[in-house]
Amino acid sequence: MTTTKLIAGFALGTSVLATAAAAQECGSDPVTLNAYFETGFPLPTELATEFTNQFPNVTFDIREDQFANLMENTPRLLSQENAPDLVRLPSISDLVTNGLLMNLDGYYEDFGWDSFPEGNLVQLRIDESGRPRGVGSLYAMGLNYSTTGIFYNKDLAEQIGMTETPTTLAELDDALAAAEEAGILPIIQWNKDTAGLAFPLQNLMGVYGDPEPINAWIFQQEGATIDTPENLEAAQHLNGWIEAGYFPEDANAVDYFTMMSRFTGGEGLFMFNGDWESANLQNAMGDSVGFFLMPPNPESGRHATMSSPLTFGIGANAENPDCAAFFLDWVATNETAREINVAVGGSNPGGPADMEIPPQEEGSLIAQTLAAGQVIGADNGAMDFIANATGAIFAAGWTPELQKMVGGVQDPEGLLDDVQEEYEDQLSR
Amino acid sequence: MTHLENATAGAPKAPAPRPAATRRARRRRRDAVMFIGPAFLIYAAFVIVPLGMSVYYSLLRWDGIGPISGATFYGLKNYIEVLTDDDLLQIIGNAFQLAAWFTIPPVVLGLAVASAIRSQMAGRFGTATRTILFLPQVIPLVAAGIAWSWMYDRNGVVNQFLSLIGLESWTRGWLGDFTYALPAVGIIGAWVLLGLCTMLLVTGIARIDGSLYEAAKLDGARPRHEFRFVTLPGLKNEIGICVTVTIIQALSSFDIVYVATAGGPGIETTVPGLEIYRLAFAHRQVGLASALAIVLMILVLACVLPIQWALRERKQ
Amino acid sequence: MTFPRIRTSPLFARGLIILLMVVTLLPFLSMLSAALAPSGTYPSGLEWPADPQWGNFAKAWQVANMDELLLSSILIVLGTVPAAVLFATMAGFGLAKLTTPRSAWFYLVFVIGLTLPFEAVITPLYFEIREIGLLNTRGAIILPLIGLYMPFSVFWMRAHFMSIPNDLSEASQLDGARRWQEFWMVQVPLARPAIMSLGILLFLWTWNQFLLPVVLVQEPNRRTMAGALGAFQGQWGTDIPLLCAGSLIILAPTVILFLIFQRQFVAALLQGAVKG
Repeated sequence: MTTTKLIAGFALGTSVLATAAAAQECGSDPVTLNAYFETGFPLPTELATEFTNQFPNVTFDIREDQFANLMENTPRLLSQENAPDLVRLPSISDLVTNGLLMNLDGYYEDFGWDSFPEGNLVQLRIDESGRPRGVGSLYAMGLNYSTTGIFYNKDLAEQIGMTETPTTLAELDDALAAAEEAGILPIIQWNKDTAGLAFPLQNLMGVYGDPEPINAWIFQQEGATIDTPENLEAAQHLNGWIEAGYFPEDANAVDYFTMMSRFTGGEGLFMFNGDWESANLQNAMGDSVGFFLMPPNPESGRHATMSSPLTFGIGANAENPDCAAFFLDWVATNETAREINVAVGGSNPGGPADMEIPPQEEGSLIAQTLAAGQVIGADNGAMDFIANATGAIFAAGWTPELQKMVGGVQDPEGLLDDVQEEYEDQLSR
Repeated sequence: MTHLENATAGAPKAPAPRPAATRRARRRRRDAVMFIGPAFLIYAAFVIVPLGMSVYYSLLRWDGIGPISGATFYGLKNYIEVLTDDDLLQIIGNAFQLAAWFTIPPVVLGLAVASAIRSQMAGRFGTATRTILFLPQVIPLVAAGIAWSWMYDRNGVVNQFLSLIGLESWTRGWLGDFTYALPAVGIIGAWVLLGLCTMLLVTGIARIDGSLYEAAKLDGARPRHEFRFVTLPGLKNEIGICVTVTIIQALSSFDIVYVATAGGPGIETTVPGLEIYRLAFAHRQVGLASALAIVLMILVLACVLPIQWALRERKQ
Repeated sequence: MTFPRIRTSPLFARGLIILLMVVTLLPFLSMLSAALAPSGTYPSGLEWPADPQWGNFAKAWQVANMDELLLSSILIVLGTVPAAVLFATMAGFGLAKLTTPRSAWFYLVFVIGLTLPFEAVITPLYFEIREIGLLNTRGAIILPLIGLYMPFSVFWMRAHFMSIPNDLSEASQLDGARRWQEFWMVQVPLARPAIMSLGILLFLWTWNQFLLPVVLVQEPNRRTMAGALGAFQGQWGTDIPLLCAGSLIILAPTVILFLIFQRQFVAALLQGAVKG
């Protein structure tokens, strides 16, 4: 094995050689990678299929689960003997604390991942003790690097006379009010199973404040709090939208996929979501869908939004870690993989900084979202998701509290108080 | 008829041990061990031992991933948390509300049917009734949960029906509504248990001596007196059974909630069974999960035992 | 609403019963109508689709590996039910005929488990099964289930043997091999109805068991049908027609058996409730 790694390391100079040598990470004997993916997102499976095409000795045993179940099951699965080789990880910190994830520093060296933009990998680094994130060893890789923002239905926008996308929060508010007045649902957002209102909330946080303190909180830095005056303003603004009826009345009964089918079916002017849906939306809605970033913070002029890796890790007890790591490298460096990545996934495929993003049709939705990603990069405005701060903060904090806020039984102060309390409680365990 | 009353009645009276009989008695004891042994061993291995471990875990603070030797002793703090934490108390309260929903509609409807026909259901109609009303009893609860999630969907039958009769303003996403989610889940349980309770009560009422009704009529009893003084007392036993079964089902209603609402919105429909699962495996608080498990077990007993005692007393 | 009308009006009774039957059937019908909508669409309530997509059932069968699921469920039932019935019959006999009042507490130990919710022991069971190395095997469902069924099954069989008069067996006079023989040749045949009912109940409970597979077995193809339905919902729950088709397939086997052996099932379920 050491020889293989040496060869792989040695051959990095030319990518063809690197691929050929590194392919040996999966050997030539039949290998079955045990994989655990998220339901409803075809990208990982399509990449796996292409991988098997190129390396026929490798097959995938794929199990899928919906996001909430995935978060619930991952710790248990990873602690068992047949731990997945490849697993979709919404949140990594607790898993590292418990020693359930493979440290990828060795592969970082072997595959030369230092040629990847460090900004892409920083969210996947974590101190050995499990906190804080953003420093220390690499424990996961991104299949791609997403950008979130607001998709809008151009036909409905025309109906309310919205000819240009809002550039300030006030303009966005005006558009929402105009839609409401015209009898159009202003925002279709899911809030069942997991709280989709966390998306607009965090975007609003990025308008009222800077992304750094939010990232500090997500990275579990000492003394970080979500309960700040800026975030309170954001939560109040969101609550204003709820009270104005901008979200569907039955938002708590709308799950992610219902939201998608309702938006593509022409219901809802706006939808807060990520570029992983770009390809899907383009197919379903053609030219009548557009994308824009949340308007910037009026004081700093910076755009900020959730932008994070589509995180995949390797189980510490996995049987085929080398092959799984090679798969992750292949996804970022193989041309075909990168094309599939952008065409199906819609997001930036990452990989070596000097590799071009596969070209997209001018003006297509994917091109728009990829361009938005550049803006966020330039403004240094990327935030991870507030839902990923700890393994359970989404399930035990944001989701129930935001559902309560939609149900009218929670106020903005209580929302932030309760989430912060849950956060501290979880960190103290 | 009920389990506890027989418990102490014990086995056949053995003759007083005479010297000549001791050998036989010893042999019989050996045979008893042979007959009871396998059942007891597997019961001990997968019920008694886990119960003991549950009690042990409930005194620890343990994430379930590291070795248990690394867990810290936590005394009764987990129990204190179960009994003082607002969320956990609400979850326990949810279970009781669900119990009411699982119990009252099936028993009331069952009583209505039983007193309306007051005889065994015979013939083809009877068979058809029995067959259909029992269907929910033979399908997995998960399937019931999925079927009803779809019924309650925005596009589902419930809203469709309301629109049809002009109550459009009542339509809503039932399982996501803070006011209606718990009752909606409760109705799923009621649907499952309706057939069983109805048939139990119909069978029961057919056993009531017809002359009691005759006598009541001769005394000039009005029908509601008849119901109160003949039907209800005559069915006490069956009602007790229904309530026992429905309460046990409600307090351990993991399957339905898991698929229908996953405990939401907020924690409106989270029940102890689901929370135990979450705490132990997702939030890695094995100690707290175990304490909640013990409390749940005690709660079930606290609900069921009084009913059983009441039934037993009445008989004596 | 007055009672005389209710009682004297068979029409009312019939109407009420028919209403209950409709309510009982409605969820099944609504699932069927959704299952026949084109896969991947968002169907609408109860309506017979213009172009029923019976192919959804074939697709659900195929994506869920239904044949493997059926086999798995059958294996789990075969591993669980006969053993549980055998142990319970022996123990019921032993407790009814071979113990003295002094050891009645022993029976109480079994009875205490009657109301135990499975959720109360699932956490330690997980660690125990992990320790034994059975996680993700069918044994992880079979062994605990046999144990968890013992309270009810032993209670059930003991009640049966208590109702058999003593002089029939003269059990106390026999010993060793002859007692064993008498148990098999005389007692078990006599207990056949009780054993049948118990078998039916345990079959249903095993087939429909959800919690144990969800926690202890990740591989859907090693789960029970109900447990596999959980995984199926996880993977295909975003496609309502397919989900409904899969659910209908998964609930079909017990429903078909129930329709064939309706009388036995109803009797078993009613007695099961009464005794449980």
